[in-house]
Amino acid sequence: MNSLFDRIWWSRLQAMTWKELLQLMRDPVLLVFVLYAFSADIYNAASGVSFQLNNAALVLFDLDRSAASRELAGRFMSPEFRWAGAITHASQGQQLLDDGKAMAVLDIPPGFSDKLARGDTASVQMQIDASNSVQGFLAAVDASQIVARYGLEQTAQRYGVGIGGVGGAGGAVDAPLINNQTRVWFNPNQNDAWFMGISELLNVITLFSLLLPAAAMVREKERGTIEQLLVSPLSPLQIMIPKIVAMVAVILGGTALGLFGILVPVFAVPVAGSLLLFFALTTLYVSTLAGIGILIATMTRNMAQAGMMVILIIAPMMFLSGAWTPPEAMPTIMRLGMYVSPLYYYINASYGILMKGAGFSVLWPMFSGILLIAVMVSLTTIACFKKQFA
Amino acid sequence: MNLRRISVVAYKEWREIVRDRLFFVLAFVVPSLLMLLFGYGLSLDVENIPLAIVDYDQSVSSRDYAHHFSDSRYFSFQGYAQREQDVEKLLVDNSLRAVIIIPPDFGTRLKSGQATTVQTWIDGTFPFRALTAKGYVTAINAAMNLDNLSAHFSALTGIGQETLRNSMQSVKLETRYLYNQEVKSIWSIAPKLIMVILMLSPPFLTALGVVREKESGAIYNVYSSTLSRGEYLIGKLLPYVGISIVNACALTAFALLLFGAPFKGDPLFFLLSTILYVICTTGIGLLVSVMVNTQVAAMVGTAIVTVVPAVLYSGMIIPIPSLSAIASVIAHALPGMYYAEIAMGSFLKGVGIAALWQDMLILALYAIALFTAGFLGFSKRPKN
Repeated sequence: MNSLFDRIWWSRLQAMTWKELLQLMRDPVLLVFVLYAFSADIYNAASGVSFQLNNAALVLFDLDRSAASRELAGRFMSPEFRWAGAITHASQGQQLLDDGKAMAVLDIPPGFSDKLARGDTASVQMQIDASNSVQGFLAAVDASQIVARYGLEQTAQRYGVGIGGVGGAGGAVDAPLINNQTRVWFNPNQNDAWFMGISELLNVITLFSLLLPAAAMVREKERGTIEQLLVSPLSPLQIMIPKIVAMVAVILGGTALGLFGILVPVFAVPVAGSLLLFFALTTLYVSTLAGIGILIATMTRNMAQAGMMVILIIAPMMFLSGAWTPPEAMPTIMRLGMYVSPLYYYINASYGILMKGAGFSVLWPMFSGILLIAVMVSLTTIACFKKQFA
Repeated sequence: MNLRRISVVAYKEWREIVRDRLFFVLAFVVPSLLMLLFGYGLSLDVENIPLAIVDYDQSVSSRDYAHHFSDSRYFSFQGYAQREQDVEKLLVDNSLRAVIIIPPDFGTRLKSGQATTVQTWIDGTFPFRALTAKGYVTAINAAMNLDNLSAHFSALTGIGQETLRNSMQSVKLETRYLYNQEVKSIWSIAPKLIMVILMLSPPFLTALGVVREKESGAIYNVYSSTLSRGEYLIGKLLPYVGISIVNACALTAFALLLFGAPFKGDPLFFLLSTILYVICTTGIGLLVSVMVNTQVAAMVGTAIVTVVPAVLYSGMIIPIPSLSAIASVIAHALPGMYYAEIAMGSFLKGVGIAALWQDMLILALYAIALFTAGFLGFSKRPKN
């Protein structure tokens, strides 16, 4: 008796899941969008973006015109800097900065080499376009390094000592110098493609996990087909679960495409940890977001409302996920908001598995974070659904 | 082109918006709420990086070196660790982002005037943070070296340490940050937020406008009416452009009053450009709506052409010059980049039409191109 009941339950679930998949398959434009997002879009993001200071256009305003000033200027080299010409008047520099044609102007005042020769402190100015504060900061750090090194060499020459390979004729006379060797873990070459590629994959997963189930549900409401489902012998769960299962299947397929079709073969993203764990994590995450999507659908009446709600939820999730903004730098309230966003846990765990090779023993807090949100979401969704339709 | 017919379509669309209470409220609430969330939350300042120190030396000078990092506001000192093995796990589970390892002979080498090597480990998962952290480490280390070297040579030569210090910095770099003197990230973010949010919300307002009528069949009223394609599309767009202009004004007010971003440019020029930009972004939604046949596809398509590029290719977080060829093409193919130039110019740089007319012209051409594409893609005699 019990098993017959079970079988009916399962066969209904199967039929409904198949219905959802068919509905997706029959929208070729939508399928093209899904394929694009999980392949070309990820490729573009991974190949397209770099955080390093690259080719910052530097303009020289040299009023000294000495060997020393040329020597200093010559040290601003690629890849960080790129010479964008010399100017003869201060206002030209301002103009180039205003027009965005230069990122920095190096200004060497007259008497620079004389001061150096006398042993006085000579100064040079640099104006940096800080309208992008991060790039501005990186440019300033690089420039101060270059100038400091130059200054140190001048001093070393005058006193006739070499400083740890820094000056003189390579004569590494000992000096109490601290060499700080930086070792960047998990991504030693600071390959931006790894970060960007994974981050884009996670964003695309997020987008579809929220949008597709919400749309699938709202569509039933808008067309009135939800009434037919409700008078059928299906329970609310049997209406919701197939939508979630179908979308999870599609998104997992897309994830596999993005990972094995683009990220691993093209960009050599190191899958350091267990793939099984990653897909288990993704299933958990996608189901959670699908639950949120269905919740949105129960709260809205039509696709337009649902679309706006999705934007309202997804934009903060992506921007405040902790990938762009260091959580440490966020105000406390925002950080709390971040902790209720499943994407925060998903990002940490995904990078943990894919790049750091972390296992479940390290990542269990992330899994439980998502699971906790999943439980709360599904309870709310079922309650809302019952209230609305029962 | 009949103005009266356009206004009739626009009025009908407007009535529909107003009658859909939740949608109407969301249309105004979503942009402002996003502005508040991003404005307060989206700090790109890298501070309080969790740091641990492994000090194998435990001497006065190693403590002193460690203090320079643990006292810095850029790092948040989590404590000393005994061995390297102890911290490796903490880097994996995100408890730490940086570790400094001081070798056992650190103090003795420095005292005897020899060079020594300290290691810094940085979690490179997020390259953007890793780069900044590396910059901080380098700067702090350089300052320490200056102190140590001047003290050392002063002892050797008998010249005063201060004099030596000065002469070691024989060249000083005076850095002036233009447009954003304090390198406040909110100043550089706020104007771009206007750009991003006007790329996120308005396309979704219009994305379903045409396709909804296709799905419900109401479009046949349009097919059989005397309305021309152009009249219909313009009428559809107008109410959403209106809503988005109101929203743009609200966003600008937030940027100025709440986030204190300075506005140095020409308000009229900025307003005109904003109107053009809003026509472009609402137009993107409308174009998608014309091209697809289901509302789901319209939403997904709009999300793909707006949400992802708004994050990546708008210059919001990653500067356009750092983009590769393909990404740069995508950036140039969307209106966000041009409007970002205008917003930055108007807010921080204080330049106007003389410097930015090209960007404005491109926005205008963009609007025309979108409209033409929509016009050509919309047929009053559909094949099926």
